[in-house]
Amino acid sequence: MQGVGPRIAPDPPKDDSIILTARDVTVRFGPVIALNGFTADIPRGVIGLLGPNGAGKSTFIKASLGLIPRDGGAISVGGLDPQTQSLRIRDDIGYMPEHDCLIPTVSAVELVSYLAQISGMGRRDAMQRSHEVLDFVGIGEERYRLVKSYSTGMKQKVKIAQAIVHDPALLFLDEPTSGMDPNGREEMLDLVRRIGATGKTIIVSSHILQEVERVCEHAIIISDGRLVRDGKMGALMAGEEGLFSITVRGDAKDLERFARAFGEACGLVSKTDEGSRQIVLSARGCGDGKRVFALAKEHGVQVRSYIPDKMSLEDVFLQAFQGGGSGGH
Amino acid sequence: MGINPIEYRAWKGVRSAQKSRLYVIANSVFRHKIRSFGVIALLGLGFLLLHAFQIIFSVIAPHESLDAQTMYDYMGSGGTFAIFAILLAAVVTSDLISDDRANSSFVLYFSRAIKVRDYLAGKTSAALLIMSLLCAIPPVMVAIASIATQTGDDYSGSAEILGRTLAAGAVGTVFFVPYGLMMSSFTKRKSYAAIGTFMSFFVMTIVAEIFAGFDPAWRVISPADMISFSFSWIFGVEMPSYVDGWAVACLMTLFVTVPAIVVYVRVKRQVVGG
Repeated sequence: MQGVGPRIAPDPPKDDSIILTARDVTVRFGPVIALNGFTADIPRGVIGLLGPNGAGKSTFIKASLGLIPRDGGAISVGGLDPQTQSLRIRDDIGYMPEHDCLIPTVSAVELVSYLAQISGMGRRDAMQRSHEVLDFVGIGEERYRLVKSYSTGMKQKVKIAQAIVHDPALLFLDEPTSGMDPNGREEMLDLVRRIGATGKTIIVSSHILQEVERVCEHAIIISDGRLVRDGKMGALMAGEEGLFSITVRGDAKDLERFARAFGEACGLVSKTDEGSRQIVLSARGCGDGKRVFALAKEHGVQVRSYIPDKMSLEDVFLQAFQGGGSGGH
Repeated sequence: MGINPIEYRAWKGVRSAQKSRLYVIANSVFRHKIRSFGVIALLGLGFLLLHAFQIIFSVIAPHESLDAQTMYDYMGSGGTFAIFAILLAAVVTSDLISDDRANSSFVLYFSRAIKVRDYLAGKTSAALLIMSLLCAIPPVMVAIASIATQTGDDYSGSAEILGRTLAAGAVGTVFFVPYGLMMSSFTKRKSYAAIGTFMSFFVMTIVAEIFAGFDPAWRVISPADMISFSFSWIFGVEMPSYVDGWAVACLMTLFVTVPAIVVYVRVKRQVVGG
C-alpha cells in the first residue's frame, strides 16, 4: 500500500487564489465546437458555472477531469494538467454527473462504499465513510434498498454522496438539482452550502440562475463555448455606480407631481408604475437622499425604499447575452 | 424543534496505491458473480457432468501413474468441456461491460484515479477466476486425486502431466473470456451479449462443419475443435494429420488478442465520449 496524499490543498487560503485556469480551450465533437477558445480563472469557493443548455458547461467540467481530450488550449487544476496528469488529480476531485449514472442493482451503501474503495480507501474505512456521507446527504434506512427503487431526488443525493465520499478538495456538481422537486432542490442547495462552508471549492454547473445566485460566491457565464462574463457575485450584480432605485407610494396625482419634481431635482433614468398607487424610479445624482425625502414630504408621498440599484443574476445573464458581456474578465 | 443536521467531516485516512485499485473491481465482480444463480447452476452442473465422475474414477480405478492420454480424453476429446466453457464465459462476461454502458456508469469509474486498462484488468480477472472454477481447478483436482492414488512410483512423470493439466486449464480459462467481453462491449443488454457470444461460437462450429466436408483443416475455426487441438498439443498426444499446429497457435492467439484490443478501444472511446 502506497499512501497517496492530497495534491490540491484542502484548506484554501482566504484570498481568491486560483484553483483552476483555462486558457483558450477548444473542444470539438465532430463538426460541433463545444468549447471555443474558453478562457477563465476560477478562484476557490463556491463557483457558479452558468449558461444555457448546450453552452459548454458539462464539456468544460469533463475536460477539467481529463475525461475528454482538448483540441487546443490548456487547463490547469491545482497546477496540474488534467489531460496528462489526470490520475494525479482525480483523487482530490469529486464529480457529480448530470445524467443518471448509478448502478441500479446495488444498494446505496454498497455503491458508495465500492466507489470509495476505487478512490483508494480501505474496505472498512470506505464502509464507515459511506455511512457518514449518506447520513450527511440525508439518505436514511433507504440506503440498504437497491438504487433502482429510488426517486430522482434520492438518486441525486447518492450522486453527491459518491462525489464527496473520498473527501475531495474540488467538487464538480453538474446540474445538481436536475429533476428535483422544490423541497429536494432546497435540500440540495443546503447541502452545497454546507459543503462549501467546510472550505472546499465547489463548481456548480447550472442553468437555473436563482440557485446559483443563492449559493455561489462567484459566477462564470458561458455561452457557445466562450466566456461571456465572470466575477464575484456582488460585483456582477452591482448596478451602475451612483444609480439608486426609489419606491414611492401615494395618490396617483401626488405621485405624478413627485415624479416630475424628482426628475428635475435628480437625473431620472426610468420610471415604472406598479399599480396606481406605487411607482419605482431609477435615478442618478441624488446625493445622500435628503433631497428625496424632502421632496416626498413636500408632495405628500411615502418613500418605501431608497436603495442602490442592484441587478438580479437574471439581469446580468440577459445583459451578457444582449451584447453587454465583456467577452472576458 | 428541529434536529441539528449532520455536518460534513473530513476524511483523514491514507489512500491505497492507484495501481492496486483494480483488485477492488475484481473483488466486487467476483463476489457478485459467485452469488448469481446462472453462474452457480453452470458451475454445479459443469462440475457434475465434467469432473465429478472423473475424480471418482481416478480414485477407484487402479492406475500406475497419471498419464497424458487419460487427461486429454477427459478434458479435450469430447467437446463437452468446451461447450460448458463457452456457456460459462457467455454468462460471466455478458454484463461486465454492457451493464456499465446501459447505466452510463463509466463516468463513476473514470472520474476517479483509474485507467481503462485497470478497469478492464479488474473485470477480466474476476471473469477468469470464475472460469477457472470450471476449467482449471477441477482438472487439477482430478490430476492430484489421480497422483495421490497411483500405484506406481513415477511421481515426476505424473507431476509433469499435472503441469500440463494446469496449462490446459489456463487455456480453457482464458480462451473465451476476451471474446465474451468484446460482445459485452457491443451492446447495452447483457442478454444480447450472452446470446451473441454463444451463437457466434455456434455459427463458427457450423461453418467449420460445413467446410470440413471439403477440407477437414477447416475444423480449426471451430472453437471447440481449437480447444481440443490445443489440448492435444499441450498433452503431447497425436494431433490429426490435417491440423497444422502453428495455424492453431496463430488462430488461438488472434482469437484472444483481437477481441481484447477491440474491448480496450471501445471502452476507451466510451470514456472519452467518442
